[in-house]
Amino acid sequence: MTDTTTILAETRARIADAPDVEALRAIEREVVGKDGVVASLLKSIPGLPPEERKGAGQSANELKQAVLAAIEEREASLGSAALEAERRADGFDGTLPPPRVERGTLHPVTQVTRELEDLFTSMGYMVLDGPEVELDDYNFEKLNIPADHPARDTQDTFYCSSPGSSASLLLRTHTSPVQVRAMERLEPPFRAIVPGKVFRQETTDASHEHTFHQMEGLVIDRNVSVGHLIGAMKTLLRGIFKKEIEVRLRPGYFPFVEPGFELDARCPFCTDGCSVCKRTTWIELLPCGLVHPNVLKAGGLDPEEWGGFAFGLGLSRLVMLRYGIDDVRHLLGGDLRFLDQF
Amino acid sequence: MFISMKWLARHVDLSGITPEQLADDLTLSTCEVEGIERFAPHMSDVVVGHVLEREPHPDADKLGVARIDVGGDEPLQIVCGAPNLAPGQRVAVATIGTVLPGDFKIKKSKIRGVESRGMICSVRELDLGDEHDGIWVLPEVDETPLAVGQPVAAALGMEDWVIEVDNKSLTHRPDLWGHRGIARELAAIYERELKPIDLEMPALGGGAPVSVRVEDLACSRYLGLAIDGAVNGVSPDWLRELLLAVGQRPIDLLVDLSNFVMLDLGQPNHAFDRDRLASDGIVVRKASAGERMTTLDGEERELVESDLLITSGGDPVALAGVMGGEGSKVGDETGRLLLECATFDATTVRRTSARLAHRTDSSARFEKTLDPTLPEAAAAHFANLLRGLQPGVSFPCALADAGEWADPARSIHLRGDVVRRDLGVELDDDAIASILSRLGLTPTATSGGFDVAIPSARALKDLTMERDLVEEVGRIHRYGSVPEAPLVGAIEPPPFDRRRQMVRAVEDRLAGAARFHQVLSYSFTPDDLLERTGCAGGDFVRADNPVAPDMARVRREVLPSLLGLVESARRERDVVRLFELGKGYRPEEAGEDGMPREVHQLAMVLALPPGVAGAPFDAGAFFQLRAAVDDVITAAGVTAPCWASADAAHPAAHPVKQVSGAWSEDLDGCGFVASLEPGVARALGLEGELTSDVAVAVLDIDALLAAPASPPAYRPLPKFPMIKVDVACVAPSEMPAAELGGMIERAGKGAVRDLQLFDVFRGEALGEGKKSLAYHVVLQSDTKTLTDKDAQKFLGRLERSLEQQGAALRR
Ligand SMILES: [Zn+2]
Repeated sequence: MTDTTTILAETRARIADAPDVEALRAIEREVVGKDGVVASLLKSIPGLPPEERKGAGQSANELKQAVLAAIEEREASLGSAALEAERRADGFDGTLPPPRVERGTLHPVTQVTRELEDLFTSMGYMVLDGPEVELDDYNFEKLNIPADHPARDTQDTFYCSSPGSSASLLLRTHTSPVQVRAMERLEPPFRAIVPGKVFRQETTDASHEHTFHQMEGLVIDRNVSVGHLIGAMKTLLRGIFKKEIEVRLRPGYFPFVEPGFELDARCPFCTDGCSVCKRTTWIELLPCGLVHPNVLKAGGLDPEEWGGFAFGLGLSRLVMLRYGIDDVRHLLGGDLRFLDQF
Repeated sequence: MFISMKWLARHVDLSGITPEQLADDLTLSTCEVEGIERFAPHMSDVVVGHVLEREPHPDADKLGVARIDVGGDEPLQIVCGAPNLAPGQRVAVATIGTVLPGDFKIKKSKIRGVESRGMICSVRELDLGDEHDGIWVLPEVDETPLAVGQPVAAALGMEDWVIEVDNKSLTHRPDLWGHRGIARELAAIYERELKPIDLEMPALGGGAPVSVRVEDLACSRYLGLAIDGAVNGVSPDWLRELLLAVGQRPIDLLVDLSNFVMLDLGQPNHAFDRDRLASDGIVVRKASAGERMTTLDGEERELVESDLLITSGGDPVALAGVMGGEGSKVGDETGRLLLECATFDATTVRRTSARLAHRTDSSARFEKTLDPTLPEAAAAHFANLLRGLQPGVSFPCALADAGEWADPARSIHLRGDVVRRDLGVELDDDAIASILSRLGLTPTATSGGFDVAIPSARALKDLTMERDLVEEVGRIHRYGSVPEAPLVGAIEPPPFDRRRQMVRAVEDRLAGAARFHQVLSYSFTPDDLLERTGCAGGDFVRADNPVAPDMARVRREVLPSLLGLVESARRERDVVRLFELGKGYRPEEAGEDGMPREVHQLAMVLALPPGVAGAPFDAGAFFQLRAAVDDVITAAGVTAPCWASADAAHPAAHPVKQVSGAWSEDLDGCGFVASLEPGVARALGLEGELTSDVAVAVLDIDALLAAPASPPAYRPLPKFPMIKVDVACVAPSEMPAAELGGMIERAGKGAVRDLQLFDVFRGEALGEGKKSLAYHVVLQSDTKTLTDKDAQKFLGRLERSLEQQGAALRR
């Protein structure tokens, strides 16, 4: 007669050594299964002397319970070991480089333009567009820049010829022609901005381009004053720089405004002079002024009844300031290594 | 332009005002100051020395060894070669450590064995002139030798500050092109008196005036003052120093005085040697073609008919307003002068100086349009200054005064209310009148405002209307003291702008999910790129003065700009996705106003490494780009167009691999998608290791705006399950997939929810001229659950319709 105690001890040892759940199931089958050790013990009972039968049955059952308990215990500990192993994550290095995400980009000029468009539309400004190939009349004459004005010299302006057209054409030198086009088309009062491409005939280098982006602003209303202009410009600068910016207004000469100003902003990059502000702590940012009465007349408005202010913002320059771009030629160069950065 | 503070002080008291403050005030009220610098800074570093003794150098005949008292404990021993050095002199001494012009630092040295502890300076070494024959012997001041040891600049009263004004900020202010004009502004700013100067013409003799005849309207006034008995020579120190301070080299008294008058009053003038002029005097006329003259700088110049000349005896003696001629210039022996003070037309002078690429102080001033009354003041100023220096000069005859001009002085009515309204400040009439008066304008009170008399100096172009006077008041009052005011009025949201909204949606989709890079390009496309892309055909708007001869053409379309980037981009990376939204110009469709038609386009380029055999049919650039285009059209909120194969969609399009999109016959097509024409690909350098699979697309934004809109619309979620059926159709090679798709749709009788092509196959097993297209088809009904029986019915219908078209269903 096999001693159940011995069987239990042996089985327990095997259970403790079982490497995984499959091994436990095999032991379970072998010991407590249909044809297992416990079953054969029970089968052998009828052949025992009657006084031993009860004890043998009891022992077999105790063996079964003990083995099952041991298996259960071992299984639980194997489960937690698996969890533990998963948690230990041997060899994991989170600093390995992840796969690169390819992405597209919006041009930085588009991004800044949009930001400004959103700012201005929230203040009731329309966004207008105008032709890049423009009539001399709109680019100059109607903007109070008469024929003999030095600004009209060919050194600044790309004059154009178009087959079959006798019109005096040029590539607009500023977004200002849209001032008059807007006055002709819209009912005052109105507020508008005009982002767009402009052209100057000049030699290019890191800080000069023959093609760049500007944004014109125009407000036409009754009783518009320099005070309103200052207020609007400060709001604009708060929108751009996201903080209060000290400004100063000084006389500036632009034929289509009177009085005309240069608006300087206190350099947001330094307190005592840096390369951006050329050590002056001021950045020349916004030419602006009250719309010249002659321009109002050219746009079909009565200067006694209507007034307004206009301003010009160098979008390309603003983009360069914002991202610290040191060469303006990158903007229209189309180099992916540049575009990818925004 | 350079302005000297010491010079300004001749016109207005600047005591108590620092150069920095003056620069700020000018910037905030008048014109932009670009910088301030101390005049001759080394003059403040060299000190007055007293020559105690001079002995010969023991070892060099030409050198001397001097002992100089510079106020220290011991005299300095300095070795010096100047022959004019003598005991008792006051001299300028650069002690050890001083830096002289040219970054020349004085060090302790040994010269032929004798120690030297400094340098005694010549005029040239201090950058004050050309004299270098000997050391500079400092003059006495008030008949007293200079105090030893103090800086030379202070000792001689030479301390000065030079202010550089940005010329561009003076474009509209000819009156500011001289020190007196700037001084008038400062007088107004600081509320100080503008000192009077003597501009009265001295007594003139009774002789016959020099004959002057003006034959051209480009000279509106020509005034000639004859001067006798002038003795040319070196100018007095005060004059030389002022000229030096503003960067003008002193030449001789007559030239220096002429320059002084110009820099003082802003009126260019020119002194001729009267003895070298022909007896018939002066004739002002335009040049004849091919005429030549030699200008003061010794250059022989060929003239054109638009150049204005001063001539004498038929020959040019000056190029009006630009430069004098070599033949008549004043020299050392000149005693009899003719001083020209004239008014020349701004544009004429500007064109001549621009053509000759020779801008002078004179031409820069005439270009601004000068006051025709200024010549008289300038002539008197010159005469009085010369007489002050040389009491012996005389003015033998009446002024020659020719030309036709009108005094531009005018009166402008100014309303106080308009000043207050436009500036947004409460400024009473008295304050307004005070500012105007300080600026040299004369306001006379009338009802509601003033009649303001504008002197000729400001009346030509600068002050012509009421608003101009508002500016005068504003800038002197200071814009910084204008209170900020909010714009008032109803703020309406601006009208909906569909184009802008569409452009944003397209940009967002492309830069976002489609992973394209947005490019902004120049509007000029180089000729060479147009040739290589096959896009050089058609008319172009052209710049008359392009940056380069091959960069004159203004683009008709956007695509070539992008194609020009592909080669270099492909060197950088395998997959290149670019788009640009921009404009092109078409001369052949000009509007009534003569302006070329503007087209607004989206151009896209997708370049991939060449495809590999066995890759799925839609892995190539063409289908990838078509997918992106369809997606972008959806993003634009526009109904999908029908794509049909096209030919000649574009010169850069592959002749076969291309489709054009359209909605209906009466709408303009939306554009095309194509593989890149293989010849163009090679011309662009996409060969060898850069061989690429390139697709291009162009969409017309105006066509998208005109097309039927298709905003996202809700559809109730299906109530019945879908079933999936895969179908494979064998069709003749030439049958377009679009036709097969249509048959599948129709066979589904409205139950086809989705149709997705997953395989295209050609092979021997199918037979010659056949292809197999396999689709996943999703069937779903709104009214019942579809069963296998419904699927079989669908396949039966499809099979019949395929067979009618010469195709078959593979079961
Ligand atoms: Zn700074």
